[in-house]
Amino acid sequence: MRGYAAFLGKELIEAVRTYKLFLMLVIFGVFGMSSPLLAKLTPQMIASVVSPELAATIPAPSAVDAWTQFYKNVGQLGLVILIIMFSGVLANELSKGTLVNVVTKGLSRGAVILAKLTSMVAIWTGSLVLAAGLTWVYTQYLFGSNALPHLVVSVVLLWVFGVFLLSLLVCAATLGSNNWVALLITVAVVAVGLVAGIIPAAYHYNPLSLASQNMALITGTVTLGDLWPAIGITLGLIVVLVAAAIGIFRRRVL
Amino acid sequence: MSVLEIDHVDKAFGSHQVLNKMTMDVPEHCVFGFVGQNGAGKTTTMKIALGLLKADGGVVRVCGEQVTYGNSRTNRHVGYLPDVPEFYGYMRPMEYLRLCGQVTGLSSGQIATRGGELLEMVGLAGVKRRIGGFSRGMKQRLGIAQALLNQPELVICDEPTSALDPIGRKEVLDILASLKDRTTVVFSTHVLSDVERICDQVAILHGGRIALAGTIAEIKAQHRHHGFVVECANPADADRLAGAAELKSMGINTTVEGATLTVMIAQHAGGDGAPRADGAAGLVAPSVTGLAGVAPAAPSPQFSQSAGSAPSTWSGSDQAGGQLLLGALTRLDITPVRFEQMEPTLESLFAEVVK
Repeated sequence: MRGYAAFLGKELIEAVRTYKLFLMLVIFGVFGMSSPLLAKLTPQMIASVVSPELAATIPAPSAVDAWTQFYKNVGQLGLVILIIMFSGVLANELSKGTLVNVVTKGLSRGAVILAKLTSMVAIWTGSLVLAAGLTWVYTQYLFGSNALPHLVVSVVLLWVFGVFLLSLLVCAATLGSNNWVALLITVAVVAVGLVAGIIPAAYHYNPLSLASQNMALITGTVTLGDLWPAIGITLGLIVVLVAAAIGIFRRRVL
Repeated sequence: MSVLEIDHVDKAFGSHQVLNKMTMDVPEHCVFGFVGQNGAGKTTTMKIALGLLKADGGVVRVCGEQVTYGNSRTNRHVGYLPDVPEFYGYMRPMEYLRLCGQVTGLSSGQIATRGGELLEMVGLAGVKRRIGGFSRGMKQRLGIAQALLNQPELVICDEPTSALDPIGRKEVLDILASLKDRTTVVFSTHVLSDVERICDQVAILHGGRIALAGTIAEIKAQHRHHGFVVECANPADADRLAGAAELKSMGINTTVEGATLTVMIAQHAGGDGAPRADGAAGLVAPSVTGLAGVAPAAPSPQFSQSAGSAPSTWSGSDQAGGQLLLGALTRLDITPVRFEQMEPTLESLFAEVVK
């Protein structure tokens, strides 16, 4: 516990001084601000770039369009940036040998994994809250309302999926010594999830639904009840992945 | 009491057997030089002692406690300085020590006082820069500071000087030598002059085992080559001296290299013939015909014709051999530029072991 707290402090200093935190907040801040703005400006852009006639056929943008933009940005590109940003989470330390010193001082390997995961989840949480908050404020400002069902729940589901990706990344990182291994394994698992998406009924169980059914939940085509199995499976997988990461890392040569 | 005991440890990487029933004891309060060629297994041994590598067999004990692979409890007794210590480049020295101290369980008060003292000792007090901008020597010194933070009973340093310039090397060696009173230092190296400079004890690792171990004085005494090096003014003199009748008749081996003559009084005494004290009993001088007139007056050369395979090999004392040589120099009227007794160097011992 003592080692965990000390190492978490180190992780947070690292996130600040290597500009990871700053970059994440800037990128997600831009996503948050641009989503409603893009929704608002889409008709004008089509009018000026394509043709005003086409633009006239498009219904006036609303809060739903703003949040659709949000999930396109944050739920896709945002997640990609998240895993790329943290793909070197263990590889950097393993290749440089920086962990040897602290581990020989008595830091448990489990604490290393948990501290790293905590720091990543904290940054992900901050970034997501910032993006969602900015989208909410701008949507309120530009469209006058955010009165949509399940708005908070859908963001929470995306957050859970992000935590799942980070757990997967950490677990994959304990297997290889360079960040490509971690990245490749993570991408491969997501690809399997995407392929499984071909089966229509699979979305009930697919963790990917937590990042892909958000708008369906808001617009009411999917109910929260439909997603419970997927939520349960994702939470279970997070626990399994973190336990596996600690187990594998204990046996690793540093 | 031994601070570090390595008992019949085996370690293989694939088919390559690095350590083979390796056994070594490090006594308390000494600077222990752990010598071996590159790839001899020095780092492997140290990593096993730190629980960073799993041994295939055997037992390692630190302060009497057995080392286990993974989260080894014994590491609380140990400070470790890796060959190229790597730190978090974005931290400042004191921040790094604070992290180490917190991990070890020191209170913030202890961290502040000890950290300050240690940074003072290694010459990094007042350095507010981030570690990323440090030179190798500075990193090595910070490495020493972090290794000493938890006041370990054993400090293990893996080639602490091999990457440093002469000044950095001297600084690091001086710091290590100064630690003898408060802790035990094991340091691996292939730089033998470093060992001679600061170590009390030395062990040479070769072929997966300790080939030679003991205090430097002991080892040198055991492996003393009895002989002299005489440097003459010119090669001709050296040749004349080498051909001197008194040396020839005693079967003393001489080798000439330019103007330098190496005179082997006896093969080193490891094993059969222990170094003999001057005038040891049982050494009877046979008739030294043709030599009597020039033999020095002082203690008569004592030697024997050994009963073994080389009947005419000199096996007298160093002093008698020296007198004989001086006699020859006087008779031949040669003034040596340099005349010294052969001292085994660690280099020569090391070369011998490795061969």
